[in-house]
Amino acid sequence: MRIKSLVAVGVAAFISGPLMAQTIGVSIANFDDNGLTIMRNGMTSHLETLKGVDLQMEDAQEDVAKQLDQINNFVASGVDAIIVNAVDTDATEAMSNAASSAGIPLVYVNRQPGNMETLPDGQAFVASNEIESGTLAAFRMCQDLRAMGKSGGATAYMLMGRLSNQAAVQRSKDFHDVIGMDMCNFITLIDEQTANWSRDEAQDMMTNWIASGEPFDAVFGNNDEMAIGAIQAMKASGISMEDVVVGGVDATPDALVAMEAGEMDVTVFQDLAGQGAGSIDTAIKLVNGEKVDKTVFIPFKLVTPENVGDFK
Amino acid sequence: MAESNHGTGGLKFDKKKIGWPNELNIFIALIIIILIFEALGQSLPYMKDQSFLFDTRDRFDSIFNEARLRIIILQVSIIGIIALGVTQVIISGGIDLSSGPLVGASAMIVMSFAQTELVNGGPNPKAVFGEWAFDLPVLIPVIIALAFGALIGAINGSLIAFTRIPPFIATLGMFLICRGIAQAWTRGKPVSFPTEGYAALGSGMMPVYWFIGLAILFHFVLKYTLYGKHTYAIGSNEDAARMSGINVQRHKVMVYMVASMLAAFAAVILSSKNLTAQSGMGIFYELYAIAMAVIGGVSLTGGRGSIIGTVLGAMVFGVIQSGFTYIKLDAYYQLMAMGAIIIGAVVLDKVRQERAALRT
Repeated sequence: MRIKSLVAVGVAAFISGPLMAQTIGVSIANFDDNGLTIMRNGMTSHLETLKGVDLQMEDAQEDVAKQLDQINNFVASGVDAIIVNAVDTDATEAMSNAASSAGIPLVYVNRQPGNMETLPDGQAFVASNEIESGTLAAFRMCQDLRAMGKSGGATAYMLMGRLSNQAAVQRSKDFHDVIGMDMCNFITLIDEQTANWSRDEAQDMMTNWIASGEPFDAVFGNNDEMAIGAIQAMKASGISMEDVVVGGVDATPDALVAMEAGEMDVTVFQDLAGQGAGSIDTAIKLVNGEKVDKTVFIPFKLVTPENVGDFK
Repeated sequence: MAESNHGTGGLKFDKKKIGWPNELNIFIALIIIILIFEALGQSLPYMKDQSFLFDTRDRFDSIFNEARLRIIILQVSIIGIIALGVTQVIISGGIDLSSGPLVGASAMIVMSFAQTELVNGGPNPKAVFGEWAFDLPVLIPVIIALAFGALIGAINGSLIAFTRIPPFIATLGMFLICRGIAQAWTRGKPVSFPTEGYAALGSGMMPVYWFIGLAILFHFVLKYTLYGKHTYAIGSNEDAARMSGINVQRHKVMVYMVASMLAAFAAVILSSKNLTAQSGMGIFYELYAIAMAVIGGVSLTGGRGSIIGTVLGAMVFGVIQSGFTYIKLDAYYQLMAMGAIIIGAVVLDKVRQERAALRT
C-alpha cells in the first residue's frame, strides 16, 4: 500500500511539475509554408523573452480533421491557452466550441476564422488586415505603370495562390478591385492562373504565358515566391525587367534581394514574426483575465526599391 | 531457330504480336491531343486566332512557336528524370512512393552545400552552415545528392528485398521520413542563393538536356545490358528469375538505388532551376512520375514498359499542361481534367491490351 501511494505521489508530482509554468498549445496549419515558418519562429524567439511559458507546437499538415484532433488533445491535456493557425477558415466553429466549453482561452493567428462575428468570450484573432496587402501592392503597381507613361493602356498577368486559401482569394480580389478603380482601369488582365504559392509552378506558368506571345506590362503574384518564379521565367526569355512591373506580397529575404537587383518592383511586408509574438501576448493576457480586443491588427508595410534597405 | 522469350513474361515469342509497338499508340495520342488544342484555339472566340504550336505572330524563324515547344518539355523534364527511375522500379514489379519527398529532402540538404557567401555584396541571408560551406565546387553538392539518394534507395530496396514487406508500404514509410527530413533540416526555412556553378546546372534549357541525356542512357541500359534484362525478368516472373540464377534480392536493391539517385539528381536540377530549396518541394511528384510512366505504357503489374514510352508519357503531360494555359482553362477545372485524362489513358491502354490478347 505504502509503495503504491508513494508511486502515486511521485507520478502526481511528475505530472504537475511541468504544469507549474503556463503551457500554450499551438496548432500551425503547415510547417512547410515559408511565411508560416517565419511566424512560427517569431513565436519561439518571443518565447525566449518570457519566463514561465511553454509552447507545445503541432503541425496540422493542412488537414482540417487533424487540426481539430490537436485542439481536442490540447483541451484534454489541460493547457492554459490555445493558439490556432487555421487550416480551413470555415472550420473554426468546432474549435471555438471545444475550447470555450472547456474554459480555455483561444487565439486565432494569421488566418481569419469564419466565425469571427460569433467568437465566444475569451477568444481573439491576431493578424494583419488581409485586405491591406493585395490593395497596397496592386495600387503601387498601378502608380508605377502610370509613372512609366503607360496610363493609355497596360496589360497584366496574375499568379494566384492555392485556390482553397482565403489569402489567395482575397489578394486576387484586391487586384481586381484596384484595376476597377477609375485611376487604374487602364490596366487589362490578360489571364489569371494558380501556381499554388510555388516558385517552380509560377516559373512554368509564366513561360507558358510568354510562349503565347501576348505583350504584357505587369505581373502580380499573390506572394513573393510566385513573383520571383515569374521573374526567373522572364529573365530566361530575355525580357528586360525594367519594362515590366512585378509585384508580390510577403517581403521575403529572396524578394528583397530581387528588389535590390532591380527585378522586383513592389512587395508588402506582413509582420509575420510580429503576428506570432502578438498571438502569444494575447493568449497570456486572456489567461490572466485582462481585457483584449476581438481583433488585434499587426499592420502591413509597403516595400519598394526606395525603402527596401529598412527591411533587411 | 530457338527464339528468345526474354522479357515477354514467359509467353511464347510471336513476331506478329509486336508489329505495332505500344509507343506508337502513345505518339498518336500525343498528336491527337495537340490537334484538339489547336482546334480549340481556332474555334474559341476569345483566342484571337492564336495557334498552339505554330508561330502566327512571326516571332521566330521557324513555322513553329518555339517558345511553346520549349516550355512543353521544360516543365516536365524534372519530374521526367524521376519518372525514368520510377519506370525501372515499376518494370521490376515494384512501386516507389518516396520520390517526391526525397526531392524535397535532397534539395534542402544539397542546397546547403551549394550556397554562395556574398549576395548583392552583402552576406548570404539564408546561410545554413558556416564559412566552410560557402562557394564549394559544384561537384561536391552533386556528389552529396547522389550519395543521399543512394542511401535512401538502398534502405528502400533492402526493406523490400530482405524483409519482404510490400514496396507500397516500405516506400510510403520512406515518403514520411523524407518529408520529415526536409522539414527538420532547417526547421522549414528555405535555403537560397546558390553559387554560379550550381545555378548553371538547371538554368535555361539545362533540365531538358539532362532529361534527354539520362533518358537515352537508361534506354540503352534497360534494352541492352544485363541490368535491364534482369529488371524485366524479375518483373515478369520473380520465381522464374530466381530459378534461372538471377540474384533477385541484390538486383532489387540496385533498382531502388538507381531510382532514388535519379530523384535526388532531379532535386539538384529543381533547386538549381529555382535558385532555392524549400521543404515543400516535390509535392505530388511521385504521383506525377508514376502517372507519366503509366500513360507511357509501363504496366503496374511489372515486366512491361520502356523508357521511350515514359518520355512520351511525360510529353503528353507537358502538352496538356501547356494546352490548359493556352486555352485559358479556369484553374479550378484543370486538376479535374488532368485526373480524367490520366484515367482515360490507362483505360484505353487496358482495352487495347485485352483486344490484343483476344486476337491470338
